[in-house]
Formats: sequence, structure tokens, C-alpha cells
Amino acid sequence: MNRIDLTIEICGLSGDGTIAAGGLLNEAMSRAGFSALAFDSYPAEIRGFGRCVTRSRFGFDRQIALENQTNLLISLDDEQSLSRLPFLAADAVVLFDNHPPSPVAEGKSIAGHARPAMSLFGAPFRDLAAAASGSAKGRNLAALGVLAGLLNLPVDAFRERIGKKFKSKGEKVAAGNIRSFDAGLEYVLKTYPDRLRPLPVPAAPAGQAEKVLWSGNVAIGEGALAAGLKNYFGYPITPATPIMEYLAARLPAKGGRVLQVEDEISAIGAVLGSFYTGARAMTATSGPGFALMTELITQAVSAESPAVIVDAQRGGPSTGLPTKTEQSDLLAAVFGGPGDTPRIVIAPTDVTECYHLTARAFPLAEKYQTPVIVLTDFYLDNRVENIERPSISADAVADALLKPAPDQAGSYHRYQVTPSGISPRALPGTPGFQHNITGLEHDERGVPDFSPGNHQKMSDKRDRKIQGALADLDPPEEYGDPGPLDVGVVAWGSTFGSALDAVQSARDQGLKVGCLKITALFPYHEDRIQAFMDRSKTILIPELNHSGQLNTLIGHLGRGRIVRLNQSTGIPLYPSTILGKIHELIGEDRS
Amino acid sequence: MSAPKFIIIGNGPAGLEAAITLKEKAPDARLTIISRDPHESYRPKLLPDYIAGQIDRSALMARPFSWYDQIGARLRVGQTAVRLDLHAREVLLDHHERLAFDGLILAVGGQPRIPEPYWVFRDLMLPLKTMADADQWIDRLKDVDDVLIVGGDLTGFAVVRALLALNKKVRFVFGEEALWPTRPTPEIFRQAADRLIRRGVEVVPGKLRRIVRETDGALAVTTTEAQTSAGLVGAFFGLAPDVAFLAESGLAIERGVLVDEHLYAGFPGVYAAGDCAQVYHPQIRDYWVSIGYENARALGRIAALNLAGGLERVNVAAESIFDDDGIRVNTSWWMEFGS
Ligand SMILES: Cc1cc2nc3c(=O)[nH]c(=O)nc-3n(C[C@H](O)[C@H](O)[C@H](O)COP(=O)(O)OP(=O)(O)OC[C@H]3O[C@@H](n4cnc5c(N)ncnc54)[C@H](O)[C@@H]3O)c2cc1C
Repeated sequence: MNRIDLTIEICGLSGDGTIAAGGLLNEAMSRAGFSALAFDSYPAEIRGFGRCVTRSRFGFDRQIALENQTNLLISLDDEQSLSRLPFLAADAVVLFDNHPPSPVAEGKSIAGHARPAMSLFGAPFRDLAAAASGSAKGRNLAALGVLAGLLNLPVDAFRERIGKKFKSKGEKVAAGNIRSFDAGLEYVLKTYPDRLRPLPVPAAPAGQAEKVLWSGNVAIGEGALAAGLKNYFGYPITPATPIMEYLAARLPAKGGRVLQVEDEISAIGAVLGSFYTGARAMTATSGPGFALMTELITQAVSAESPAVIVDAQRGGPSTGLPTKTEQSDLLAAVFGGPGDTPRIVIAPTDVTECYHLTARAFPLAEKYQTPVIVLTDFYLDNRVENIERPSISADAVADALLKPAPDQAGSYHRYQVTPSGISPRALPGTPGFQHNITGLEHDERGVPDFSPGNHQKMSDKRDRKIQGALADLDPPEEYGDPGPLDVGVVAWGSTFGSALDAVQSARDQGLKVGCLKITALFPYHEDRIQAFMDRSKTILIPELNHSGQLNTLIGHLGRGRIVRLNQSTGIPLYPSTILGKIHELIGEDRS
Repeated sequence: MSAPKFIIIGNGPAGLEAAITLKEKAPDARLTIISRDPHESYRPKLLPDYIAGQIDRSALMARPFSWYDQIGARLRVGQTAVRLDLHAREVLLDHHERLAFDGLILAVGGQPRIPEPYWVFRDLMLPLKTMADADQWIDRLKDVDDVLIVGGDLTGFAVVRALLALNKKVRFVFGEEALWPTRPTPEIFRQAADRLIRRGVEVVPGKLRRIVRETDGALAVTTTEAQTSAGLVGAFFGLAPDVAFLAESGLAIERGVLVDEHLYAGFPGVYAAGDCAQVYHPQIRDYWVSIGYENARALGRIAALNLAGGLERVNVAAESIFDDDGIRVNTSWWMEFGS
């Protein structure tokens, strides 16, 4: 069976229907049985004119990362698409509108810039849509028709998705759009019969589980719903806003509430309040909002209040790069805030993990009475993957509140020092279990106490408690040979997929490399990480930040053999970049 | 003054040679070469061997894409010139892009010629000019055991050889169009027919009359003297200049682009070369057309030299020999296109 690895990009100006076309493409391809991973980018301006680009990678095997090279570009606006030429493979296929309303000057058409080894397929997207539906609006669908015809993609999957997507705009619009799609399809079959490039379609394995096409943000929302989220509090910020939007559409139906509050301080405050009463709550934000939350996060550490906080990282510092990706909040998530404030920080590496780690954040927060920070980033939040619909057992998300024994009534100590550091927690208003909570340093009863011995004891307790959470956190996962490695790659978050992709390629080339995935960033499994590093001659830590924050956190375990690969460009780290570094480290350039 | 901008339409032997020469004589000029073919420049002569499976695709290619980078020329493949505006000095491409030029060499070659009486059967016959044609031959031959060649221009003979190598049954309507564009003597004509018969080809007498597709997909062919059938009919009536897109340009067009002995087309900076040109012959005071790879190259060179400021004449005495297993014909110059 041929291995399919196809990256398709659609580029246009806002208003061209670029993102809509990309979405339809992903859905149709997913329906046809391909594995998909897609990531759109659009201008920082919320409205207004700018370039939109959707990139999707399709294959038979599960897609774990985007590559930096595109195999097929659909240009809905040639002037915008010119900027994409450097990212096209040498033999890329380019679909473009070959009948602009009036002839364009030299160089304004992408055909004037495509390299000869690229294959140009011109089709009059606008004219086809106008003739088919009476409006040139459907040119993006005509373009999809051309694509479907050229690659022999299952057209019914497209027709069905188009019909569904535009149903809300009326039968007429939906039917017109399907006709625009069909017009593109017919055109390419008639015009380029001897240049068609049929793509093998994956055979559907019997009994295949249902697949869903989810973004990271949708998976986070679904994970929270699966965990029985009761209250969501938030303030809009890119790239976390879609989580709130998703929950706003679904949580009320499940008896929960979504409240947009006045700012992020309110949001975290409300989450703490809700959890304090025993109702699971969550907020999601990005760097600037997270900064506002830190004071109350440290309050929660001190008062030992549960909270679930998603920090969807974007380019920083400050308001930074709102629509770009970065992994630069790691140290803020782990250490941010005054005082010694151990808390749990976990970071999913793909869409499925967005679901599971978010769901599991709730019982963790309850059991360890601590803020749990789910650290994602734009590239993870906004990407879509088609995955088997995830599910989680009721046990895994069961209420994890350790309640005090009834016989403690009357003598209940909210902050009782225990070997695990976990003190039973009574919900407020429970008769016989009245108690103080405070952010001031306190004794076991919750009464402020600043004496030297007490602060030491309570600091020890809080630290012990969080370190104990390791038992409930996924240990790092190793990929590759179990023996000695020339290069061991250690990665987290959205970069892990690229790292694994690079390591797989390197192994296919016969190199002795491996990869370690870390999802528990604090506390972290020191022994496991150490063991992996110890069998690696060189340890490579690729990260989307400038200072090497994971390296700062765990680098001491590498005994001086760590090489950092840091990128502060706002765009994902691609497998080829990591593979290039592996080659460089091994000392043979195989690229 | 900025460097002049030259465009060559055509990436065949005439266009290629013109590009080489222009880069030699006017190295600073900006040069764009346009080709309708969506691939590298190829050697048409080798298409029959390719069909026979004796060489692979890469062996057909005359120059790799990287070569154009090396000489500093911009190659646009898969793009077709659809109009020439001599007033604005612009070429319009099929995807609606306008290219301005200071100098232009038309080297668009020819396209398979189908004589008018057979025009109605054109969809039932397969010509051979482009790579796409060749791929179609290969594809169709998978399901076909017997092939009929009509016309019988010089390349038809090469294709016969390819078909025999593939163990196909070959029939040949050996009528008056055979050996086009030359006018063979009855002796040469007879020799050629004998040679075909000796190779195992069934020579069908007469002139093509009718082709009909039967319900089983086979083609029933009637000539003035016989009736036969075939799975596939190949049309080999030679090539005719492919200049329809120039009809409204103001250039003098007869069958090809009329040019003087310097290949000058009558508008400043505009020249034509290769199979698409009809060249003035001062001695006989008429326009002649050349055929053949070497002629196309020679003309391409002269057009480029003159565009770069020279005043070279074409060498009308040049020879180009077509040699098919002992049948030798000089194809350099001929006047007529037949019907
Ligand atoms: C099967 C076959 C076998 C042959 N065998 C021999 C042989 O053995 N010996 C011999 O001497 N000759 C042979 N010939 C003839 C020889 O190949 C031609 O005479 C020669 O190729 C002519 O060269 P040219 O550059 O004028 O045109 P061509 O080779 O036809 O090239 C024309 C170029 O122009 C481009 N073009 C055309 N129209 C446009 C347009 N509107 N816009 C943009 N680009 C355009 C085409 O894409 C192509 O690149 C053979 C021909 C064929 C088809």
C-alpha cells in the first residue's frame, strides 16, 4: 500500500471563504477515512482584511505534526498566495483561478512565480461558481471541486458536508454551493483528463471506531463536560475563547452555567469559589489573563483550594502575538507568583490528550486541593485532528474530595498535617466542620500563624502533597529503541508531535534516536526522565520559546549533555527542523 | 535603460536554440520562455521508442528545469499564449496574465495535421505530437492488438517499428498521403511499401474514406479500395503550424507566420522560427516551410541572432535527412502542405 503524506494548503484573503473551504476539506477527507491534522492561521486583527491560510496534512497513518512543506496549494487569491511559494515542495501542485475578471499584469498571477517543476492547474473558480449558482461566492467550493476531481477524492463526502454546512442558510444556498462544487469537479475532469492524479483512498477497516474531527479547544470543552463541569467562568482572549464559546453552547443543557465575567481576576476568583463549595469549575485564558490570575492562584495554593485553569499559550510577553503559537508560559505556570507555591501543571501533546488531561484535571484538583494548570498553546488549541471519539470512565473522573471522617466533627482541623500532605476537606456549611481558610500562613486549624516552625511545617506539607501527586500523573512515555541512544529528544506540548515525527524519520534512516514525552510538568517524574537522559549520549530539547524553559526546569538531570533547540517565531516547530538538528548532532547531514 | 525583455513562445528545439543564442548574444536581457507543455522540453523523435517501452520518460527530456536557472532564463511551463497584442507589445496567457516584451520569438511549432476530408473522423484517430499523445498511445495499446496507420508521414514509419516491437498487428493505409511531406518518386513509394510488407505490415490499398466505431469498440475502416478494421487508428498526416492564436495579431499568417529570410515577422523585434514559420525564399520568391529537428534549431538560432541585433539569413540549402531503416528523404524544405 502506498504511503500517503499530503499537505494541502488553501490561501486567500479574508472573505474568500478560505477557512470554510479548509474546514470542509478536513471534514470530507476525514469522512473518506484519511487521518488529518490541520492548523489554520489568520491575521491578528479580529476583523478586517488579511491573509488566511489553512494547512492540512492527510495520510493513512495517524498524523502527529504538520510539516513545513506543502504539496498542494489552492490559491483563492494569487497576491496573498505568492507569500506561500517558499513553503511549497519543489514538485507542488498549484490550483488557481485562471480567469480573473480582467487580465492581470505580469507577476500578479501565481502562475508567473511557480517553479517549472510545479504543476499548475488553472480553473475559472469564479466563473464556474457564478454559472453554477448565480454567485461567485462559491468559488471556494468550485476550487474544492477541482481538487476532488484532480485527486479522485470521494465526492459524496464533500457534497454531504457542503449540504450540511450551508443548510442553515437555506436549501437554495446549500444546493447552489453543491452545484459550484460539481462545476469545479466537471471542469477538471474535462480539462485535464490526462493529468489527473488519483489518490489511493484508505480502505475502511471493519469495526472502525467513530471518528471525530476536533480542535484542541473542542477536546478541552468535551473533557470538561465529561468530568461533569458545573460552572465555567471566563473572559475572552485568543486562543482560549473558543473553549468558552463551545461550553456556552453545551453546558447549560447539562445543567451547568457559563458566565463571562469582567476580567480574569474575577474568573479565577469565581472558579475558586465554586470549587470551594464542591462544584467543579474551570476557566481558560492565555498569557496576559494568566498573569492577572497569579495572585489568586497563589492564594489557592496557600488556602489549598482546587481550581482548573487552562492556559492556552500564545506568543508573549504581554499581549505579545495574539494569533501565534509559543510555549513560553511554562515557568509562569510552574512557578508564577510570589512565595513557594507548588501546584500541578500538566500539558497535553495532542487533541486526544487535551480531552483526557482536562477531564482528569478535575479529580486531581479535588484530591490534591490545588490549582491544576492545563498548559496548551495556540498550535494545539486551534489545530484539528480526526481522532477516535475519546471517552473516559466515570471512575477516572469521580469526585475525589477526601472528606473528613464523621467522628472528626467538632475537632476538625482543615489543614491537618498528614504523611501525604493531604488534609481532609469539609465543604463549607457542613455542621460540625466549620473552619477557617486563608491565604495568610496558618496553622492546622486555619488560624493565621507566622511562627518560624509553623511556616516551615506548612511549606513542607504543601510541597509533600504536590510531590505525592506524581502517583496520579502519567509518567513520561518513551519512544524508540530501549538501548543506548545517540540522541534522545525530550519534548512537551504541541512540539512533541513534531519531535516524534522527526525521531521516526531518523529511525527510518537507521539512526539511534529516541523520544521522551512529558505531560506532567509539575511535579515531574525525575527518575524516569533521568533514566532516559542517562542512556542518551546527547539530549535534545526542542521548544517554542527563547530561553529553553523546559530545560530550565529539568535540565539539571541531563548532566551537561543537553542541547537546546529554541524557536521564537510564533510558528510551530516542524519535524524537519528537529530532524535537521538531530543530523547535525549525530554529525552526518542526511537531509 | 533597463535590460530588454525578451519572450520566446515555445520550448521545442527552435525555442531552446533561440534561448541559448540570446543568452550568448544578449546576456543582460531578461528572458522568459513559455511552453504549453506542462513538462520539460522533449525530443519528439524519441516518442516512438518511448511508446515501444524501449526508453523511459526521463530519456526523452532535452533539458532539465535547472538548466534554465543556470542560463538565467525564466521558464513558464503549462502556460499557453492565447493572444498577441503587437500594439501594446504584450502576450496574453491563457490564465489571463499579460506579459510585456521588447523582443519576441515565436517558436510554437506545429500540431498534427488532419486533412479536411478526414476532419469528421478526428476523434476516432490518435495523432502523435506531444508527451500526452504518447501516454495515450501507451494506455490504449494495453487493450488493443491491431493498429491501423493512416496518412503515413515520416513519423508514421517510426511508429510502425514501435508497434511491431510490441508485437501488434499493424495495417497501413498506404495511399497518396504516404511519405508526406515529401513527394516520393513511384520507385521510392514502391520500395517503402515493400519494406513495410517485408516487416509484416499489412498494406491496405486506396485512400481513406470512412471510419466507424462498432458497438464492440473496434473501428471499421473503409478505403477507396478496401475494407478493414482495427482497435486503434493512428493519424500521421504531418504537422501544420500551430498559429491560430495569432490570427488577430496583425501578423501576416498564411499557414505559418510569414517571415522574411531574416525570420523577421514585420513588426519591430518580432521573429518566428521552427515549424511555425513560413520563410521567404529569395531565389524562388515564395515562402517555404521547414520540417525537422535540426532545421528548427538552425532557425531558432538565426531568429535570436537577429533579435540581438544581427542580420543573418537562413540557409535554405540546409539538409535534414529522415532516415528510417534505409528510406532516406531530405526533409529540409518543402512548399506545400497538401490539402
Ligand atoms: C513523433 C515525432 C517524430 C519526429 N521525428 C523526427 C525526426 O526523426 N527527425 C526530425 O528532424 N524531426 C522529427 N520530428 C519533427 C521535429 O520534432 C519538429 O520539426 C521540431 O520539433 C520542430 O521544432 P519547433 O521548436 O519548431 O516546434 P515544436 O517542437 O513543436 O515545439 C513547439 C513548442 O511551442 C509550444 N507552444 C505551442 N503553442 C504554444 C502556445 N500557444 N503558447 C505557448 N507555447 C506554445 C509547445 O509547448 C512547444 O514547447 C518529429 C516529430 C514528431 C512529432
